[in-house]
Amino acid sequence: MAVIGWAKSGLIANNLDHRRQNAHHPPHLYIRRPSPTTAEYTVTTRPPPSLTLRLALVSLTTLRLVLFLVALLLLTTHLSLLPRPVTQHPYLHPLLASPPYQALVRLTGPPLPAWAFAAAACAVLYVCFAWQLHTTERLLVLRGLGIQTSTTGEGVWGSWRPATRFIPTEKIRDVLINEAFRGFEVRYYLVVLVEGEEEVVVVFPRLLPRRRIVEAVWRGVRGCLYEQGGEGRGEKG
Amino acid sequence: MQGHDAFMRVFWPTDLPRSDVRGVVVGWRNSALDVFVLAILDEVEPRNVETALQIGTLTRNAPHPVSRIYELCGQSSMRVLGLANTPESVEVDSSWIRVTTGPGRRVPAVTCARASNIQIILFERPLPGRMQYISLNPIALALGDKKGSFRHDSPESGDDDDEKEERIRKEKKRRLVEKLKLHSVFNRVPSAKEKALPKIVNQINWAWELEQLLQKNVSRIGTRSKRSQSVSERVVESATIARDMMVLWLWDLFTFYVLPVIQRLFIMALMSHRFAAELLLTVLEWRLRPRYAALKDISATAQQVEIRLQQFCYWPMQYVTLRLRKNDWGSVTTSHPDYIRFYNSLWLVANDVIIGIALGSYIIDNSTWVAEEISDLLSTYTVEALQSSISWLMGWPAGLKLNSELALFLGDLFLWVIDYWSSCIELLRPVLPHIIWFIGFSSFAGASMPIALFSDLLSVLTVHIYSFYLASARIYHWQLNILISLFHLFRGKKHNVLRNRIDSCDYDLDQLLVGTILFTLLFFLLPTVVVFYLNFAIARMAIISLKAVFDTLLSCLNHFPLFAIMLRVKDPRRLPGGIRFELRDTQDFRLATNNSPHPIPSTSVIYLKVRTPSLPHRQMLTIEQSIPLNFKAMFHQYFQMGNRIRKHYLSPHVVLCLLTGKFVPPLNRKNLYSLQYSMLPARRAGVLEMWDAVNSLPSPKRRAVPIVVPVLANGKRLSNNGGRIRSYG
Repeated sequence: MAVIGWAKSGLIANNLDHRRQNAHHPPHLYIRRPSPTTAEYTVTTRPPPSLTLRLALVSLTTLRLVLFLVALLLLTTHLSLLPRPVTQHPYLHPLLASPPYQALVRLTGPPLPAWAFAAAACAVLYVCFAWQLHTTERLLVLRGLGIQTSTTGEGVWGSWRPATRFIPTEKIRDVLINEAFRGFEVRYYLVVLVEGEEEVVVVFPRLLPRRRIVEAVWRGVRGCLYEQGGEGRGEKG
Repeated sequence: MQGHDAFMRVFWPTDLPRSDVRGVVVGWRNSALDVFVLAILDEVEPRNVETALQIGTLTRNAPHPVSRIYELCGQSSMRVLGLANTPESVEVDSSWIRVTTGPGRRVPAVTCARASNIQIILFERPLPGRMQYISLNPIALALGDKKGSFRHDSPESGDDDDEKEERIRKEKKRRLVEKLKLHSVFNRVPSAKEKALPKIVNQINWAWELEQLLQKNVSRIGTRSKRSQSVSERVVESATIARDMMVLWLWDLFTFYVLPVIQRLFIMALMSHRFAAELLLTVLEWRLRPRYAALKDISATAQQVEIRLQQFCYWPMQYVTLRLRKNDWGSVTTSHPDYIRFYNSLWLVANDVIIGIALGSYIIDNSTWVAEEISDLLSTYTVEALQSSISWLMGWPAGLKLNSELALFLGDLFLWVIDYWSSCIELLRPVLPHIIWFIGFSSFAGASMPIALFSDLLSVLTVHIYSFYLASARIYHWQLNILISLFHLFRGKKHNVLRNRIDSCDYDLDQLLVGTILFTLLFFLLPTVVVFYLNFAIARMAIISLKAVFDTLLSCLNHFPLFAIMLRVKDPRRLPGGIRFELRDTQDFRLATNNSPHPIPSTSVIYLKVRTPSLPHRQMLTIEQSIPLNFKAMFHQYFQMGNRIRKHYLSPHVVLCLLTGKFVPPLNRKNLYSLQYSMLPARRAGVLEMWDAVNSLPSPKRRAVPIVVPVLANGKRLSNNGGRIRSYG
């Protein structure tokens, strides 16, 4: 039986209640399978690559870069961190003396308290640096070793380094699809039952993709994780 | 036959020297098609290597017992796994691998006659000399042996509601997990490759040291003849030997005559301290009856002293464990968390003392001023503010028309006690500078001491507020209870105690009349009592939160993971938080292999046509990395403590207690301080145990022994001696 109904348990509700759904783009599934013993399932909100997307990304990146540099420059100007030879540098000086920049300096100047400006600039710097557009979640299945989930989050607090969790095959009790109520809908999601642990591990916890994707991943995991002999017997029996 | 089972796994260290000379690949064979590469021995014959591995030539001159390697790596011997950079023409065993590496090639090309697809798992070897290691589970910064003991304690304390609640929730969850187990339809028997993972983790930890050992001994396997030394080289060699002998002789003299005396004296001092500590600890832990609170449960100072003493008792034991580490291979990783814990607590204490000296000298220099400030604060906030607020309450506060007679009575009562208390404080005032001086002096034992003392001083000097709170809460609670039961009477009902429910009841007319009159009376008197109660409850809450601040400061001084944070910045690989795999694109791998003259099958693309032995290869690369411990795990204990405090004080239960005038129980000290005890063992080692441990340290003599061996006269005796000690350690 592919789907085991096991709803309304506190265990699952705990895991799900603070997950957010990304509304702006439905998650996609990409499969990478360089050998039958290894497979990587990537679910991401990043739309499939196209020219417009690429252009938008490039412009966004430049915008971020410009914003970052301007915030950095303003910060250094206000705290007068730059030594004189640097500000007099032939490349930098015209920029620093240009009217728009001077207007910006005046705008962020004295009426605004220095600490407030510094805090705002730091916030802008951080947002420019750390803002992530898409959520990407991966499931890596390695036969003989185990499976690994990883998540990079969207937004400011999603870290650049994916949060990974590796579960050795020996510890995997089962991989199954479960359903749970979430608001006014029923969600199907993939869980890994880990030996000797109280919490189940939810795969793709932030995106919680649709049942079609979840089922495809589930089939893939079953086929890839276990050696052929055991699987064959299971199917026949 | 190899149709379905021909999946091979190769573990390959990325930092192995890459040369394109012929070589023999040596490593562990965990199962038939599961190999772990340790080293490539250049320019040797595979047959010679095989025999050398069997008779142990390659592990000769090992600094520590070789059996330890096999025991921890889970294999009985190292094997020849295959050949490196050998032409196809050479016949090899079918289970051997052929490897092509070279300076320009990041990833080796591996082929094996029996495998149809291969997983190459690349890893970077942790350096045991720098105490780097990997582990499947995150490193535990807290000592994990006291879970049970704390659980044992909790039923004794009994009254702790949230503890009980937590236990019930855990039990519920456990039952859910039990149910969950029933969902797995069949139990799969794990294959040999799956079971090998813990062993492989050990093998990765050992990889560096073993490769060094093997490479050191390669010269023993024949093929290369040693060049005889020139005269100048011989002169230099004998000169260095003479110098080394001289240094060694002096060192020997020192270790033989001076060091034992110093050591003995030190141990004596340590033991006498230990006795004193034991004595003090018994006093601190003494309880009149098993149920009663000990001194350390009441006073923060006693608790602080106890923590320091416990640490002092634990240090020698930790140190002994760490010293014994030196007698073993560097790759044995079991004591690394101990190392971090030991130095963390040492560093914290040193920090504490440094801050304490600064603080103490400041307090001592300004003791009169500090004393004046404190007595000012005391009289302003605990006497005058209270007096003014009570007088305010007595005169219809905020337009609230209270019952003036009752308000006068209550206010006079409290004012009278406050007067008495303020005269007591006046008595204390001349002594206060001395007390402050004493507190300042105590801070030379660490900044945590004055903080604890101040916390205690605060609770002593606000005893009157505490008692006011208790008294007014009691009055309020009684009144509320009476009101509730009279309200039932008013409705013609009563509370059935036996069944714990509300029953209807036929009252007589006079009963009803008196009850209703009393109800009205008490109801109109209630606001007066409420305002007094609220006044003292707020004062009490303010004091509790102040003490919570002190406690948080204390726990920061006693438990901050300073050393761990430093390590996280300096060398994250010393704080393993688990492992992580990364699937590499086989694309660039293929490109790398294509331009080689060697016929590496570029069939890694055609991975969908499976299981035909004629297509021998589908290669796959994963990189194994050790992920450092994240900060959340480092501060896990703090989060836990914060959670506990939040659950205790911000729970609806406490709000209900406050509203109904029930006594709000302060958080159990033991609960709050489990954080601080998390780095200490649940049961401290006794004096005798410590004596044994300290004396079990190997004498420093044995380190010099293997070098002194050339001295012919007593060489035999010494080496015997050394051998005995080594087997003992």
